[in-house]
Amino acid sequence: MRPNDLFRMCVQNLLRRKSRTFLTVLGVFIGCCSIVIMVSLGIGMKESQEKTLAKMGDLTIITVNAPQSGRGKNKLDEALVKRLRTISGVEAVTPKQSLEAETINLVTGTGRRYLADWVSVVGVDTDEMERLGYQITEGRTAKKDGEVVVGQYLAYNFKDNMRPEGRNMVDRWSGDWDENGNLTNVPPPYFDPLKEKKMTLEIENDGKKVTIPIVPVGMTKEDYSKGSETSDGVILSLSDLRKILDKLQGNKKKAVPYNSVLVKVSAIDQVEPVEKEIKAMGYNTDSMESIRKPMEQEARQKQMMLGGLGAISLFVAALGITNTMIMSISERTREIGIMKSLGCYVTDIRVMFLSEAGAIGFIGGLIGCVVSAIASVVINLASLGFSPENILPAIVGGEEVSRVSVIPPWLLLFAVVFSVFIGLGSGYYPANKAVRIPALEAIKSE
Amino acid sequence: MNPSDLRSRPIIEVKNIRKEYPIGDETVVALKRINLNVMRGEICCIFGTSGSGKSTLLNQLAGMEKPTRGEVRIGGVPISRLSENQLAAFRQKHLGFVFQSYNLLPNLTATENVAMPLMFRGVPREQREAAARKLLTRVGLAHRLDHFPGQMSGGQQQRAGIARAFIARPDVVFADEPTGNLDSKTTVEIMNMICSFARDYHQTIILVTHDPEMAAYADRIVTLIDGEIVRNEVNQKKERKTYEA
Repeated sequence: MRPNDLFRMCVQNLLRRKSRTFLTVLGVFIGCCSIVIMVSLGIGMKESQEKTLAKMGDLTIITVNAPQSGRGKNKLDEALVKRLRTISGVEAVTPKQSLEAETINLVTGTGRRYLADWVSVVGVDTDEMERLGYQITEGRTAKKDGEVVVGQYLAYNFKDNMRPEGRNMVDRWSGDWDENGNLTNVPPPYFDPLKEKKMTLEIENDGKKVTIPIVPVGMTKEDYSKGSETSDGVILSLSDLRKILDKLQGNKKKAVPYNSVLVKVSAIDQVEPVEKEIKAMGYNTDSMESIRKPMEQEARQKQMMLGGLGAISLFVAALGITNTMIMSISERTREIGIMKSLGCYVTDIRVMFLSEAGAIGFIGGLIGCVVSAIASVVINLASLGFSPENILPAIVGGEEVSRVSVIPPWLLLFAVVFSVFIGLGSGYYPANKAVRIPALEAIKSE
Repeated sequence: MNPSDLRSRPIIEVKNIRKEYPIGDETVVALKRINLNVMRGEICCIFGTSGSGKSTLLNQLAGMEKPTRGEVRIGGVPISRLSENQLAAFRQKHLGFVFQSYNLLPNLTATENVAMPLMFRGVPREQREAAARKLLTRVGLAHRLDHFPGQMSGGQQQRAGIARAFIARPDVVFADEPTGNLDSKTTVEIMNMICSFARDYHQTIILVTHDPEMAAYADRIVTLIDGEIVRNEVNQKKERKTYEA
C-alpha cells in the first residue's frame, strides 16, 4: 500500500469512532500536559537558581592557586599561563597579582580632598579582560600605561576630608531593601571616579614610599568569582603593577610569583573537566562549581521526581490506547480477514494499526504541548502579576525575570516524540494481534 | 469449449489433499482424499450439502487454510506452501473473491471498496478509482458510486462485490454461495454477471453452492459428499442463454 493510502485509512478509521478516539486522545493529552508542566517547573527552578548564582559571579571562571604544600615546584608563572591557554575549553587566561604593602592609599580631588585607605590593587592582563568576561559598565578597559579600571563601588570607599569625622563617608548599604532582597534608593557617592581624571596611589612599605598617578578609564561590574577588586578595588595592567613592585623592592629585584591565575572557560559544562585537568597539573582550583553542582543536582532530582509524576499519567494513557486498539480490532476482525483475503500484506495491516495508535499519541502530544505552553504562560503571569507588560517576559523570560515554568523548545519536541512512541508502544501488542487474524475470518458466516 | 484450452495445463491442480481438524481429543476428517484439476476459463461448481466439506475444499483451494496432507497448485504455484506475505502477493495478482455476505467494508464507499484490491497493490488512487467506477458502471451501479454499503440493497452490494473480485483481473475467482442471501430474480442477474465477466476475461470461476439451480451455470460440476468427490462431470445441460447477459 502507498503511504498516503495508509494515512487515509488511518484517518478514516479514527473518525469512525469519534468519541472513543476523542477520549483516548484526551488521556494522552492530559498525560503529555502533566509531563511538560512538571518538567517545566523543574527547569524554571533550575533557571532561577542559576540566575541567583550568576548574580554572585561569573559561573565560568576558575581561579587557580598555588598548592599549599610542595611549594617551589608548582609556581604560578608565565609558563603555567601558557600551558593553561592550551587546554581545550579555555577561552581566556590572566595571571592576577595583588599589591601587598603596609599602606595603600588612593587620593583624589583638589587638595587631597577624597582619600581611601586599604584599597585592593591587582594587576591583570588588561588585553584579556573583555574575553575574561569583566563587564565594563562604563568607559573602557585600560590600554595605556597608568590607565586603570575601577570596581563598581570604589567611590564608596573614599572619605571626604572636608566633612567632619563620622559623617564623612557614604554608606552604600543605607538604602532600602525591596521584596526581592535588592537594594533600592542607594545614596550616590561623593563623586564619579570616571569623571575624576586623576587619582594617586600612595604606597608605603618597609619605610619606602611610592607615589603613582593613575587614570580611571573604566568601571567593572561587581563579580566575586573574579575577586573583590571588581567591587571596590583598582585593576591595573600587569606591567604597571610590576613597576610598583620593582620600586618598592628597590635593588632586590626578586621575582614575585602571581597570586592566582583566572581561567575563563567557554561554557558552564566545561568548568568541571577543565578544573579537573588543572588539578591534575598539581594546582588548587576554585570556582562557583562547588556551589552550583549540589544545587544543580538537587534541582535535577526534583525535576526527575516531577517528571516521573507526570509520566505516570502518560502511562495510564498508554493503557487507554491499548484498550482502544484492542476493542477496535475485535470489532474489525472480519474486516481484517476480508483485507487479507483480498491480498493485503501482513505488514500493511500492522502499519495500519500502529499508525492509528501512533496518531492518537501524536495528536494527544501535540494538543498537550499547545495547552501546556499556554498553561505555562498563565502560571508565569500569575507569579509575575497579571498586567500587559508582563506578558512578554512570561513567555520568553528575561535577564531579570525568573519564571516559575520554563518550556524550552526541546521539551515540546520531546513531549510530542515521546507521546508518539507511547502510542506506537501501546499499539504494538494490538497490532500483532490484528496481524494474526486469519483470512478465513472473511468467510465465516456471522 | 475451445480445444486448445483442453490441451493446456490445468490452472488449478489438487493432489491428494486431506484435511483434518482436531476437535477435543478426536480428529474430524473434513476432506479425505481429493484430486481435482480445473482448466483455465472453466466455471467449476463445487456442489454439496452442508457438511459435505465443500467450504473446506474452497478454503484449501484459495490458500485460506493449509491442508493436512497433499498440495494445491494454482498456475503451477504451490499455494499451500507459500508464506503469508507470498500468499498476499499471490492473492493480489491471481485471486478474486465473491463472498456470500458481500463483505464490503462499511466505512468505505462502493468505489473505494471496489478499488481496494488495487490499493493493496499500490496503484495510485485516481487510477484505481477510475477503474472501479468503470466496473461499477458495468455492473449497473453507476448511480451508487459514492454510496456506502449500508445504503445499498443486498443485490447492489453483491454487484459491488463482484466488481471488486474482478477489478484486478485475477486468474481465478472464488465465489462462496454468492447468491445465498439473495432472492431468485437477483440470483439470476448475479450469476449472469459472474459468467459474463469470466467469459470476457477468460477467467476461471470456482463456484461453491448447495443449490442445484446454481450448478446449472457451471461447465463442470464436482459433487462432494462427506469429504469425498463422488462425481466430477462436464455439465451437459449448461444453460447457454446465460452468456447473453
